[in-house]
Amino acid sequence: MSREVLLSVRDLRVDFPVGRKTFTAVRDVSFDVYRGETFSLVGESGSGKTTIGRAIMRIHPASAGEIRYRDRRVSGRIDAASERLLRQKIQMIFQDPMACLNERAKIDYIVSEGLYNFKLFRDEEERKEKVERALRDVGLLPEFATRFPHEFSGGQRQRIGIARALVMEPELLIADEPISALDVSIRAQVINLMNRLKREKNLTYFFIAHDLSVVRFISDRIAVIHRGRIVELAGAEDLFARPLHPYTRALLSAVPVPDPDAEAGKRPAGYDPARAHDYSRESPAWREALPGHFVLGTEGEAEEWARGA
Amino acid sequence: MIRTIPEVPAELFRPAAFDAEAAERTGYARYSYWRSTFRTFLKSPVSIFLLALIVVLTTASFVYPLFAHVDLGAVNLDTETWNLSPNRDHVFGTDGLGRDIWALTWYGTRTSLLLGFVIAILDVGIGMIAGALWGYVRKLDRIMTELYNVLNNIPQTVFLVLLAYIMRPGFWTIVTALCSTGWIGIARFVRNKVITIRDAEYNVASRCLGTPLRRMITRNVLPYLVSILIMEAALTIPYSIGSEVFLGFIGLGLPIDTISLGNLVNQGKNNFMLYPYQLTWPTVIMAAITVSFYIVGNRFSDASDPRNHV
Repeated sequence: MSREVLLSVRDLRVDFPVGRKTFTAVRDVSFDVYRGETFSLVGESGSGKTTIGRAIMRIHPASAGEIRYRDRRVSGRIDAASERLLRQKIQMIFQDPMACLNERAKIDYIVSEGLYNFKLFRDEEERKEKVERALRDVGLLPEFATRFPHEFSGGQRQRIGIARALVMEPELLIADEPISALDVSIRAQVINLMNRLKREKNLTYFFIAHDLSVVRFISDRIAVIHRGRIVELAGAEDLFARPLHPYTRALLSAVPVPDPDAEAGKRPAGYDPARAHDYSRESPAWREALPGHFVLGTEGEAEEWARGA
Repeated sequence: MIRTIPEVPAELFRPAAFDAEAAERTGYARYSYWRSTFRTFLKSPVSIFLLALIVVLTTASFVYPLFAHVDLGAVNLDTETWNLSPNRDHVFGTDGLGRDIWALTWYGTRTSLLLGFVIAILDVGIGMIAGALWGYVRKLDRIMTELYNVLNNIPQTVFLVLLAYIMRPGFWTIVTALCSTGWIGIARFVRNKVITIRDAEYNVASRCLGTPLRRMITRNVLPYLVSILIMEAALTIPYSIGSEVFLGFIGLGLPIDTISLGNLVNQGKNNFMLYPYQLTWPTVIMAAITVSFYIVGNRFSDASDPRNHV
């Protein structure tokens, strides 16, 4: 496969100061996102998946490791040109549509904010045109530009957030649980919109989620994160068909099946790292257990899991 | 009571085609923050009355001197005109120099309100900018907190007495004296508010778009503070007017030839046993202004809270 690597994360570590100590939210995280794919990051609450997204956006500084975008370093100290590239070409969609829009600004300003920051328009007319096109792209009406966010429903607000990202003509969209705060009835609407935009605008998605059933539906590749470390990475169908790491298996067994008989006596497989692994003699490392299917484990574990699959 | 539904005539109905745009139009509600704030505020007759009182007193005090043409510097040697009780020519009476207290009160109110407005604008203006930076720029937090502790722990009276020795008494001395400590109280208030909204998701979104600090503060932070700043200003005005009276009382106020409510109250106080009306009217006006501003400010802060809007 000679696909272009759009985003490359190597040995990323993110620390947060907690009083005098530091808490490591993310450690030794490495992955590549190829152009045109949907790469999903799955994990439970507090596993560090949002932190990775925000580290890419430079909201949280990377304590160690490197993030490269189109082979340009975008972590640590960077020059203005790299910052500009990052701010334009990587955009983020947020989890909570009620919190991610400035309540005291009109939709016109919210959608244009990035355009103002980088002067991406010749005159007022072109800016208005870009805002109108972005609103149309997400199925909203151009006349909404003169309104305030609180006048809209949750699904509409989430689409305003998507319009704000689209107006920058990004290549990579980081979607941080974009549908988990929405009503179930409009989740499909937003997912379908995102799929359509991906096709029309040649977007690449970095999708952060905890809902495995949605992730399976939209992803090309999935990485599973546990306590700040990626434990398994594989193609979407491959991961669901042959989960190797015990944590992934536990996670998949917790997904409800729409079959009452099967659910009735089901006991989800638990995962206790202390009992599942013996890392006293050998530390786990990142290994390719099967072609294109990576796990975090010792050599023995990787072989054993691959045989069992 | 049971009512039967009459037969629905089919010809009144037409099938409607699905229209995605029309569906979008139903999705939002018309709600305006400011409209709801004013509606809630104007619901109470007390607020309306006090607001009207403020408007009338302010207008009158600024308009009266334009039309009255009373020379308040003139000394009247005719003892017949001194210390007259309220009568038809002098509705509030006259003072010990034969000056009309009605006229003096309006001139004094103008000076005091002007003082209040200037101090409120400076306090809130400086406090707002300093507070926004204090809350937003993490590195400033320690320096500003120390400055706050220093300024806040010096007793106000000691500070004012010292300042009165250094500077000549006058309008701008009082402004300097009250503003030099007043702004940091407002700055701290703003800082606390800013810290609660600094890490909100919409601010993260702006940072992801590369929004510079200046626009962050003017577009993302300050609009959220407008209502509390209006309230702070409304409360600073009566405080400043009251302080001017207090400063006059301890002998640090405006020069004796400046007509202000503070000076009028002090003069009236000296003659209170003989001519009580000389104290009464300036005090009544001052009390009306300060209490009105205070209550209106509080009512406005309640009305500006969206939780009270339903």
